[in-house]
Amino acid sequence: MTKILVTVKRIPDPDENLKFANGGLDLSSVKWVPNAFDEYAVETALRLAEDVGSKKTKHAEIIVLSICPAKQRQHMTQFLAMGGDRGVIVDANDADYDTAAIAKMIAKVAQDEGVDMVITGKLSQDNEGNQVGQRVAALLGWPQACFAAEVDWDQGSNSLKVAREVDDGVETKQVPLPALVTVDLRVVLPTSVRNGINPADHKFTDGPRLASLRGITMAKRKKVKTVTPADLGVESAGGEKTTTINKPAARAAGQMVGSVEELVEKLATEAKVL
Amino acid sequence: MAGTNPLIRDRDVDFQLYEVHDAEQLCKLPHFAEHTREIFDLWLRSAAKLAREQFYPAFKPMDEKGAELIDGRIKSPEGMAELFDAAVDLGLITAARPESVGGSQLPLTVSVVGYLYLMAGNSGAVGYPLLTAGAAHLIESFGSEALKATFMKRMYAGEWVGTMSLTEPGAGSGLGDITSTATPIEGREAEGAHHIRGSKIFISGGDLDFRDNIVHLTLARRPGDPPGVKGISLFAVPRLRPSAGLEDPSNEDAGEGEIAVEFNDVHTSQLIHKIGWKGLPSLGLSYGEADDCVGWIVGEPCRGLSYMFQMMNEARILVGANGTATASAAYHQSVDYARERKQGRSLDPRQKTKEPIPIIEHPDVKRMLLRQKAIVEASMCLVMTASRYNDVAEHGANEGDRKRARMILDILTPITKTFPAERGFESTSLALQIHGGYGYSSEYLPELWFREQRLNSIHEGTTTIQGLDLLGRKVVANMGQSLMVLMEEIRADIEVARKDGVDEALCEAVKIEVARVGGLTQVLGQRGMSGDVLGMMAHSHDYLCLFSNFIVAWQWLRMAGAASRGLTEAHDPDSEAFYRAKLEAARYWIRTELPDNARLAELCESNEDSYLKVPDSAW
Repeated sequence: MTKILVTVKRIPDPDENLKFANGGLDLSSVKWVPNAFDEYAVETALRLAEDVGSKKTKHAEIIVLSICPAKQRQHMTQFLAMGGDRGVIVDANDADYDTAAIAKMIAKVAQDEGVDMVITGKLSQDNEGNQVGQRVAALLGWPQACFAAEVDWDQGSNSLKVAREVDDGVETKQVPLPALVTVDLRVVLPTSVRNGINPADHKFTDGPRLASLRGITMAKRKKVKTVTPADLGVESAGGEKTTTINKPAARAAGQMVGSVEELVEKLATEAKVL
Repeated sequence: MAGTNPLIRDRDVDFQLYEVHDAEQLCKLPHFAEHTREIFDLWLRSAAKLAREQFYPAFKPMDEKGAELIDGRIKSPEGMAELFDAAVDLGLITAARPESVGGSQLPLTVSVVGYLYLMAGNSGAVGYPLLTAGAAHLIESFGSEALKATFMKRMYAGEWVGTMSLTEPGAGSGLGDITSTATPIEGREAEGAHHIRGSKIFISGGDLDFRDNIVHLTLARRPGDPPGVKGISLFAVPRLRPSAGLEDPSNEDAGEGEIAVEFNDVHTSQLIHKIGWKGLPSLGLSYGEADDCVGWIVGEPCRGLSYMFQMMNEARILVGANGTATASAAYHQSVDYARERKQGRSLDPRQKTKEPIPIIEHPDVKRMLLRQKAIVEASMCLVMTASRYNDVAEHGANEGDRKRARMILDILTPITKTFPAERGFESTSLALQIHGGYGYSSEYLPELWFREQRLNSIHEGTTTIQGLDLLGRKVVANMGQSLMVLMEEIRADIEVARKDGVDEALCEAVKIEVARVGGLTQVLGQRGMSGDVLGMMAHSHDYLCLFSNFIVAWQWLRMAGAASRGLTEAHDPDSEAFYRAKLEAARYWIRTELPDNARLAELCESNEDSYLKVPDSAW
């Protein structure tokens, strides 16, 4: 059966205010939530795998991969509850590794599992790096289709037709499998993902599906394999270093000026921008 | 309209579940042993998301265009079908049901929070799944295996829906006077089939267009059965009946898949125009106009009302949840508005600016906000307290624990039903007030919550009924035994609060109320025993208010204890502010609202009788 690897990440809740301490982010009391684009990635994989006419038939096995401390895996449970078949956890604090090291780990898991597709979110909402998917494709030597808004799986020709969000509109690309896809927001519209089996006009519920109570209790029984970065041949955290993270300086109060002349005067002499 | 209103704040849910009610402790009971905090949290996150992203955005449009009655059938409001599907997918209907009937065995303490989120988003839309769950639960508890296979399974799966069909035009609160009849069908006695005839009114969700079939759990009287409540039986009456009769439960796939059905002579006779909850139509139903309506008896004959009453605790807790949820959504909206709306200048001489200030800075607006907060959060705590006793009453470790919890739950139920409804209405009214002229306009939501909230004092037993139930049935009828158990629990909690470092004056104030409520109850009980039942019950409403103020003070003391514990470990400003606000709300309730009990007790004790003395002709 076709195997799809989906990468997922937990991030500090983007709806909460950031706290800073000692030249970095204070994450001691943050609420961890799944990265929204990873929810879209899992939803994309589920729609590719599903046969809407028969709940029992599936067209792909979905493996969910996360690099996170093994004990902090609530996001993994959620993705398995949505419908992922099994999980792989790389027991490490992902923030300690740069994108190159992260990409190496993912590529190795993809090879070890012998997957046919890797689907990732286009970026994670915390640092918005937008690098991992592209790096993984390069390491594997696979074609990539990034920022997918629509995905068509042609099982006959073993390829994906992907409509990509690009600066001046939408570009459509055909990639042979194995391939890597990163997904964008519109991929979770009701008719964005087609697998050639479900009726072309089938409408999925808008947005990524919720973890149902039954799904959550079943997820607790699904298999999750834990490995270490060393198991995957990654010994170094990589070359990137974060020196400090600071809050931007607060904006100073504005001034009311009486005339255009005064404004020009102040811009020239005080602000020195003219 | 999907604004930033959180409806129910997640941080408050965590506080209630894990810091006040210790929900994880429930996982030690065998019935809940499969559960963990992770399961609770993940499911509640799904519920919150569904509430915020789907139920709430549909709220105002459903109010503007509710259900319609067209050619004898209900056309459901736009979007209702999707919301029902989503609630079914979430697992709401079977969340607390046992695995043996396809449920997830979640504690009610947790599943009620799922309801809270969704109700805060859209009360009416929660009606269909909630009523379906209640109706199926009746069949699960009392119905035959054939009824379970035919109806319950499909209802729990969300394929068919259900209603509670009790009220008649001439019998609302007084159900003993119902006139619907059920005549045994000759030759079909074994399956319990009867011909049903009669009319029902105010049947919530009695028809719809997004499912084919709807099963009405209907009260009716068989010929020859005694008059009054003792002769009422319960029937399952579907709109479409299985053409070949009930399914054989011994078939492995009974209750699954399609079965042939035919019209069962149940008609929608009337759509009642109402001021809120428009997503959930309230209907008149007519059974057996062509003498061809079949209903199957549920359980034993003449036990209908007592079966209904066994379901009542849960149903009334859920009405309390609704009052809480509606007041919560309105509260968060008014906080948001008060921060943004600028009016008037500061009275504080240190304040240098001459610009208008956000109204949240005015002391009287703060007063209105704190009153809302005190009501909303105590209501939530109360709903969860009752739910937790319900969990222990049903699944406690031993009979002693179960019995004790049942006794306390019995007393708490009328208060859990009433306080969030009555005080929640006042709270919702304050939200409207804070919005000023805009609050009175239909452009803004507070007037809508105000209309929605009003129902909670009426359905599932009016406030009057709850007052009679509390004093007459729950307190006096068992000679105050349940009250004694409850008081033991409260006295123990006062000591816990003391140890947690809660202000001594607050602990003492609640202790004084233990004595006051106990003493007053004795006076009223003796008045009743001596034959003056009218004298005992004339102030049942005041007694209910007094008792509620007291129970809510207990809730605030428990929350204050949890907040004090939290403060000692809080090391960021947000957590500190969160806990400090809890302590201030506790102080507010005990200092500002609880003292009203002296006046209420005096009214009850002196039997102030102005309303009884007004000559009838002069009203």
